Amino acid sequence: MSIERQEKRQGAALVAPALLWTLGFFVIPFAAMVMMSLAHLEGREIVQGHDLGNYLRIFTDPSLRRGIFVSLEITAVVTVVSVLLAWPLAWIIATRVPARWRRMALLLAVLPFWTSYVVRSYSWALVLGEKGVVMNALVGLGLLAEPVQIMATRSATIIGFVHFFVMLLTLTIYSNLIQLSPNYARAAEDLGASKWQVIRLVILPLTLPGVMTGAFLTFVLCIGDYITPQILGGNNELTLPQLIMLQLGRRGDFPMASALSVVLMVIVTLAYAACARWLKMERV
Amino acid sequence: MKYLSWAYLVALFGFILLPVVTLVIFSFQDGRLPVPPFKGVTFEWYAKILTDRAMMEALGNSLIVALLSPLVALTLGFLAASGLARVVLPGSVLMRGLLIAPMTVSYLIIALGLLQMFNQIGIRPSLLATGIGHVVINLPLCFAILYAAIGEHQKSALKAARDLGAREWQVLWFVAAPMLTPALAAAFFLAFTFSWDEFIIAFLLTRFDVTLPVEIWSMLRSGLSPATNAVGSLVFLVSVIVVVALELTLFRKGSK
Amino acid sequence: MTADVHVKAVEHRFNSFTALHRVDLQIAAGEFIVLLGPSGCGKTTLLSIIGGFLTPSEGQVLIGGRDMTHVAPKDRPTTTMFQDYALFPHMSLRDNVAFGLRMRGMAKAARNAKALEMLEMVGLADKAARRPHELSGGMRQRVALARALAVEPDVLLLDEPLGALDLKLRRQMQEELKAIQRRVGTTFVHVTHDQEEAMAIADRIVVMNHGRIEHCGTPEEVYLTPKTMFSADFMGETNRIPVSPAGAGVTSQLGLLAIAPAEGTLCLRPESIGLTGAFSLGRATLVEAAFYGSYHRCHFRPLAAPEMLLTAHLPQGEHPRPGAEVELFGRNPVVLAPVAKAAA
Repeated sequence: MSIERQEKRQGAALVAPALLWTLGFFVIPFAAMVMMSLAHLEGREIVQGHDLGNYLRIFTDPSLRRGIFVSLEITAVVTVVSVLLAWPLAWIIATRVPARWRRMALLLAVLPFWTSYVVRSYSWALVLGEKGVVMNALVGLGLLAEPVQIMATRSATIIGFVHFFVMLLTLTIYSNLIQLSPNYARAAEDLGASKWQVIRLVILPLTLPGVMTGAFLTFVLCIGDYITPQILGGNNELTLPQLIMLQLGRRGDFPMASALSVVLMVIVTLAYAACARWLKMERV
Repeated sequence: MKYLSWAYLVALFGFILLPVVTLVIFSFQDGRLPVPPFKGVTFEWYAKILTDRAMMEALGNSLIVALLSPLVALTLGFLAASGLARVVLPGSVLMRGLLIAPMTVSYLIIALGLLQMFNQIGIRPSLLATGIGHVVINLPLCFAILYAAIGEHQKSALKAARDLGAREWQVLWFVAAPMLTPALAAAFFLAFTFSWDEFIIAFLLTRFDVTLPVEIWSMLRSGLSPATNAVGSLVFLVSVIVVVALELTLFRKGSK
Repeated sequence: MTADVHVKAVEHRFNSFTALHRVDLQIAAGEFIVLLGPSGCGKTTLLSIIGGFLTPSEGQVLIGGRDMTHVAPKDRPTTTMFQDYALFPHMSLRDNVAFGLRMRGMAKAARNAKALEMLEMVGLADKAARRPHELSGGMRQRVALARALAVEPDVLLLDEPLGALDLKLRRQMQEELKAIQRRVGTTFVHVTHDQEEAMAIADRIVVMNHGRIEHCGTPEEVYLTPKTMFSADFMGETNRIPVSPAGAGVTSQLGLLAIAPAEGTLCLRPESIGLTGAFSLGRATLVEAAFYGSYHRCHFRPLAAPEMLLTAHLPQGEHPRPGAEVELFGRNPVVLAPVAKAAA
C-alpha cells in the first residue's frame, strides 16, 4: 500500500466517527422528516403517502399561510432594527470608549446573554406587563394616562427579539471593527475626509461582512425561535415555530409539522443564498 | 458628537440591562407578584427554589447534559478536524460542508427530526436522547473552531511528530491536543453554554428527567412569580461568575 | 507642490516614556529625507508628528513656514503612505486614488482622469478597475503611492513603505520611488530601518536612536564620517581600534599610527583596510578568507596584537592565502570620542 493511501486511510478513520454521527442523527432524521411531510393524518393514524397535500394546505389555509408572513415580517423588522441599534453601539465601544474600559463596556453590553434564554424572555414579560416597570414609570411620570397593552402583542415579541439580537450583532460588528487597521480611518482623514465621511465611505462598507454575518445569524435564529413569541407574543398571532409546536401538541400531526419545518428550512436556505456573497466576502 | 455618543451608550445600556436588573431586584420581592411597588427584601423565594426537589433534579440533569454532550462533540470534532487537516481526501469539501450543516438549521427542526426517528426506532424521550441532540448541535461548532485553529504552523508540527516516529494516537495526544488547548477550551466553553441554555430539543426529547430550562418553562405556566425571578437570578449569577473567571484567567493572556 | 519642513525642539512623551528628546530638524523643499534607526528609536513617532497623527508634548512643526503643530492631518499639506498601505478594499484602484480628490469636491470626470494619470505614472493604468486584493504587494505599494500623490501634497510621508516587500522587489521599488520623487519634486520624508535602502534613496539620512538624532547628513557623510559610534555601527560593519594621541600621530595596540592625533576609537570600514592605503596598520597574518563575489572578505590577525581580529574587504583578484603575512594599510580614518563624551 502506498504511503499516500495509508495517510488517506488514517485521515478517513479520524473523520469517520463525526461523519457517522452527523449522518445518523442529522441527515437520516432530516430525510425522515421530509418523507413524513409527504404523509398525512387520518384520525390519529399517520398514513404514508407521496403527495404534496400538506404543502398545498400551507399555502391555501389562511391561518397557516398567515404564520409564514407573520414570521417573515417579525424577522425582517427585528433584523433591521437590531442592525440599526447595534452598529452605533459597537462603533462607540470600539472607537469612543477609552481602550482601558473597552472590554469592560463590551462585557456589560452583552451581560444579559448569560441569563438563560427562557428567563430573558420572562424578564421582558415582567418589564412590559400592565403592572410592569415600564408602564409604572410612564404612568407615574404622567406620559400615559393609563397602561397600554404591549404584552401578548407583536411589539412585545419584537422588543424581546431586538434585545437579544442587539447584543449578538454588537459582538459580531465590534469584532469586525476592532480588526480593521486604524490606518484605514487615518488614511481617509489624511486625504481630507470628514469624520462622517470616514464612517460612511470607509468604515461602514468595511464592516459589511460583519454586519451581514450577524444579520444572517439574526435571521436564522429569529425565524426559528419558539420561546420568545410564545412567552411575549402570546397566541393572538402565531409564528411558524409556534404553528409547528401547535401541530405536535394538539393533534400529534407530525406530517403537517414536518411540512412546516421544511418550509422554514427553505426560507432559511433562500436567506443564505441571498447573503452568501457577503458571508464569504474577501477581507484584505 | 461626544455627548451624543455617551447619551447613546447610556440609553442602549439601559435598554440592554433593564430586564436583567428588574429580574434580580424583584427576586427579593416580599410579596406574591414580582412587579412594582417593591415591598421589601426577602430571601424566601431563594430558599423555596433551593429546596425544591424538581428544580434541583433539573439542575443536576442540566449539568450532566451540559458537561457530557460537549465532551462527546469535542472528541468527535477534534478527531475529524485533525483528520481533514492532515490529508486531502476525496470529497473533503463535501465532508466539511456536511459536518457544518447542522449549524444552519433551526434547533426546532433538528429536534423534530430526532423525535420522529426516536419514535420510530423506539427510543423513549430521555436525557440520553437530549444529549444526542445536543451533540448534533455542538459538533459543527467544535469542528469549525478546531479546524480553523489548525493552521500551516500546526500542520507542520503534526508532520514533524509523525516524522519523529509518533503513532497516530501519540500525535493527537502529545502534540495536537496540547497545541490546540486554547481552541479546545473555547469550543468546550461555548458548547457548554449552548447545551446548558438549550430549550427546544430538551423540551421535545425529554419527558420526566427534564433540564433546567424546561423546568423553568413549566414554572412560567403558573404566571409571574418572584420564585421564577429567583431561579433566573441564580442562573445569571452563576454564568456571570464563570464568564468573569474565564475573562480573568483563560482569555486574559490571549487578548491582552 | 513642495515645501520645507522645520521641526523645532519637538519632545514627545507616552506616559512616562520619552519617545523624542527635543528633536530639531530642518528639511529643505524637494528634499528626499530618510529617517533611519532601529525599531523604537522614535522615527515613526517623528513621522506621525509631522503628519499630524500625534501632537507633540512640546515643540513646533512648521511646514512651508506655517505653524502646523495643532492642525489636523487633513488640513496639512502632507499625506501619509502607511506601512500596511491602508488601501480601501471595497473600492477599485481608480476610486482609491481618486478618494482624496473626491474629498476635495472635485467633479467625477476630472478626478477619474487625474486618478488614471496617477496610475499611469506608477504603471498600473490598465488595472484601474481592479480591487486591491487582486494585486501583488509591490503593486499595492504603487497604488498607495499614487493615492497619496494624487492630492498633490507639499510633503509626502512614507512609513516603512517597502517593509512588506521581498528584498529584490524592495531594491527595484527604491529606484522607482527615487525617480518619482525627482519627477514630482515633492518633499519626501521616508522612515526605514534598512540602512542600504536609506543610502540608496536619500538626499540626506537622519540616523536616530533612543529618541535622539545621532547624525544627519548625506549618505556619504553618514557612512564615511559617522559622528557617533551608534551611527558608525548602524550604517555598516566597522573595525574598532582604541587610540590615544602621541606626537604627530596616535598610539594603539598596533603601535604608532600616522593619523591626526586624537583620543578615542579609530573606526575603519572593512573596505578601508587593504594592501595599500594612506597609513600603515603594521603586519598581520591572514587567518581566513571567503569569496563574496565583488570582494574577498578576510580576517587578519595583527602581529602586534594577536588577540585582535581585523576584517578587511579586499578587491577581487588580490589573491590572499590563509597563513600569509602581509602589511595592512588603512584609509578614511575616523576617530570617535569615547562613548561617555559622545552622549553628553
